[in-house]
Amino acid sequence: MTEFYEGLAEILEVDVRKVTPALDLQTCSWDSLAVVSTIALADDCFNVLLDGQSLGECNTVGDIEQLIESKKG
Amino acid sequence: MTVAEVGSGDGACGREVVAGGARIAGVVSCVPTREVDNAGFVERFGEQAVHDVVKMIGVTRRRHVDAGTTTRDLCRVAGQRLLADLAWDPAGIDALIFVTQTPDFRLPATACVLQAELGLSTSCIAFDINLGCSGYPYALWLGMTMIQSGAARRVLLAVGDTVTRMVDPADRATAMIFGDAGTVTALEASADAPRASFVLGTDGRGASHLIVPEGAFGRTPADDPRLRDRDPACLFMDGGEIFNFTLRAIPPLVARTMALGGVPAVEYDAFLFHQANRFMLNHLVKKCKLPADRVPINIGDYGNTSSASIPLLMTTSLREQLRERGGRLAMFGFGVGYSWGAAALETGPVRVVETIDYD
Repeated sequence: MTEFYEGLAEILEVDVRKVTPALDLQTCSWDSLAVVSTIALADDCFNVLLDGQSLGECNTVGDIEQLIESKKG
Repeated sequence: MTVAEVGSGDGACGREVVAGGARIAGVVSCVPTREVDNAGFVERFGEQAVHDVVKMIGVTRRRHVDAGTTTRDLCRVAGQRLLADLAWDPAGIDALIFVTQTPDFRLPATACVLQAELGLSTSCIAFDINLGCSGYPYALWLGMTMIQSGAARRVLLAVGDTVTRMVDPADRATAMIFGDAGTVTALEASADAPRASFVLGTDGRGASHLIVPEGAFGRTPADDPRLRDRDPACLFMDGGEIFNFTLRAIPPLVARTMALGGVPAVEYDAFLFHQANRFMLNHLVKKCKLPADRVPINIGDYGNTSSASIPLLMTTSLREQLRERGGRLAMFGFGVGYSWGAAALETGPVRVVETIDYD
């Protein structure tokens, strides 16, 4: 998860220590560019392709992780 | 080569076709003189927004046509220069294919107007093809196939777009990324030309993600919330969906094209990707494990020029190499439609390779 969290920290423009499953995306710069960057990040780290719409519906980092887990299976 | 020697068939990534007996004789790109940098967008969108978008798309400057200039104008100038520099008699052109999504008219076909303007013979086959980002590989496939069939010996492929004319200047998602360019490529029958391999495919389920909803004869999709409060005559792009499509479709397309071409990636001199967006290109290069130094990128200087982006790469980033010795090239066009096309081919020295300004 470390690489993924580091990537997310960069995308969301927050300190990496703040990236936890509970982090509320709405308090960060979670816009369409962040969504696209996260698609690329998940592809890099886990080789899964998320879709923009489901990502856009995520509220927390934990939601993104769940989405990734569901794609892995 | 006879028709019987030419293979074609369904593959996982699209129709696979091999064509032979034709070579690229020259390519000329024509771009508008008006260069637009990012400063003007800062006033419109704010510094932070421009910074964020530019970081993603990687466009520093792009060329914009003025309101009176069309793709046809850019292609006419490119075509005149190409014919002159090749010293080709216009009367000897057997076919002119105009690939664009920004024609002059709904009718007639712009290719007919260009036929007259370029002084081509009335025995010239001329027609338009409505494709964007995938257009150049399609044009090469069709032109080479026409030559191989014996229908034509010399073919001009006019390929370009002036997308900025249908972009809403207030739309952050599209206003900064596109640039305008028109190109013309000359193909010629050549018995000893190496075979070119093509992979061509379509998935119309993606049609609504990159669309100008109004302006022709169809109905505007009424219940699409993404189109609310937008000018339906302007280009709509769902960047996330397009990105997702690209990541899903293009890595296997690259692998399949390499396989069909019959030589490993290290044997290629250049991989020419449609210049969609720098972030996406960087990601694709990494994902496809291609040598980054052989993937030229010029989106920083010209933006995304739609169907023109691959030939524009040839006349900017590859000019010296193509003129001096040619090379083994792979090309990948993908986007609006969804439609995609890939080509793997080898050229000898290309006599005319130029980028010129429109004035």
